[in-house]
Amino acid sequence: MATQAPFRLGRKELHLPNFLVILKYSSWLPANYASFIVPIWFSKLDLRDYLYHAYNVRVGPSIRSYVKQSRIQQGKGTRIIRPQYKRWHRPRATKHMTVELERPFVWPAEPADYTDWNKEEVKMASEQQEEFNESQGRAKDALAVSNEHRSKMREQAKALLEGKVQWRPSASKGGMGLRMYER
Amino acid sequence: MHCTSASLLRSALHITPCRTAAVVPPSFLLPAFALTQTSPFSSTAPASARKDHNRNRGVSALHRTGIGKKQHLSVKLEDLPKPVLDPKRRSDIEVDPDHGLYAFFPDGNEGDRIMTPEEYAAHGRGWRIQELRAKDWEDLWRLWWVCSKERNKIATLEMERKRLAGNGQMYGDVEAGTRDKQVRVTMRNIKVVLTERWYAWENARQAAMEDPEVDLSADPGKGEQAYLPGKGEGLLDNSSANEGITEPGQGLPPPVNALPMSEARA
Repeated sequence: MATQAPFRLGRKELHLPNFLVILKYSSWLPANYASFIVPIWFSKLDLRDYLYHAYNVRVGPSIRSYVKQSRIQQGKGTRIIRPQYKRWHRPRATKHMTVELERPFVWPAEPADYTDWNKEEVKMASEQQEEFNESQGRAKDALAVSNEHRSKMREQAKALLEGKVQWRPSASKGGMGLRMYER
Repeated sequence: MHCTSASLLRSALHITPCRTAAVVPPSFLLPAFALTQTSPFSSTAPASARKDHNRNRGVSALHRTGIGKKQHLSVKLEDLPKPVLDPKRRSDIEVDPDHGLYAFFPDGNEGDRIMTPEEYAAHGRGWRIQELRAKDWEDLWRLWWVCSKERNKIATLEMERKRLAGNGQMYGDVEAGTRDKQVRVTMRNIKVVLTERWYAWENARQAAMEDPEVDLSADPGKGEQAYLPGKGEGLLDNSSANEGITEPGQGLPPPVNALPMSEARA
């Protein structure tokens, strides 16, 4: 803890802080500004003293603050297991503060590629999952047959017509009834 | 048909039975009886108010009226510095290597912006209650602040990761969650230990208040004895019915300080 502060320190004693102060990226802010998400009860002086004591960051005279109301969301809340789609709720508002820094700060560079995070795989998996959900969903009868399925059916028909394979009833449920007396 | 409030009121006032009201209407109705309007309806200032010989009257930078023909500025348009619109051509900003805001990032210095799932998962378990019981208040307090700043860091990195990738478009959710959970386990156990100590302190204080051998009002700084052995022996002999049982702590020498330092600080 620094003993000499260039400003008048607050006298609120905070021994065990149980809240989050999040540094937020804002592409439009110049390097001598930083934006934070703070608890809703935070004041500008609280943030100034907190940054000074916990992070040794000196903050210029100007701090801007606003409270951002959340959009309403479907469901009763985020913590329940089964979402209730007919109920709506509004998540809590968040407080954002933009401080002027005494020393400029530039965020570290973005990662060049996201192979460590499996971004490509996650994207492919989510696309496949979405496709599967569509094929199993309510509108599955209205969906057009996929091109892949069409080409395979064409190959099959061609092979049948050329006599390369013999048609047999399939072993699925439809075919079971035909052959059940032969067993 | 022309109908005003004054005409309506006039007829209404004439048929009132009270004679005095017909002669003198109440004061709040007086504006309705005014025959001529003294102020004009329009609130715009008259044209004469604008003739103040100000050349810059009506010139606005916001509304793009431009400068007038007779206006001369100290700077020409060609001399104005031009903004660098391309971010790549801008000069680099020097950041101090020990800037405090780097504590919100994985390495604590100018390294990566976000953590990989492997880096997230590189952690052990949280502190347990048995381990924390051996620590004094200063240690617990420091550990709490370390945990609090670690939670700030995780929340910052998660928000940035979701901003870069889109929510649910990259791995790392689960790893960040388990890391954060271990930190919260530590913080919860610190609170458990501190609560235990508070109850131990309170129980000891109440026991000392009932004990005649302990003088809680004594000031050790002035050389006064807080523990006075044998002061209330007569009382103890009368009250203790089971003399055959020996307490395990009776054979030990009396403690120098009735309360250990760590609890005194907590």
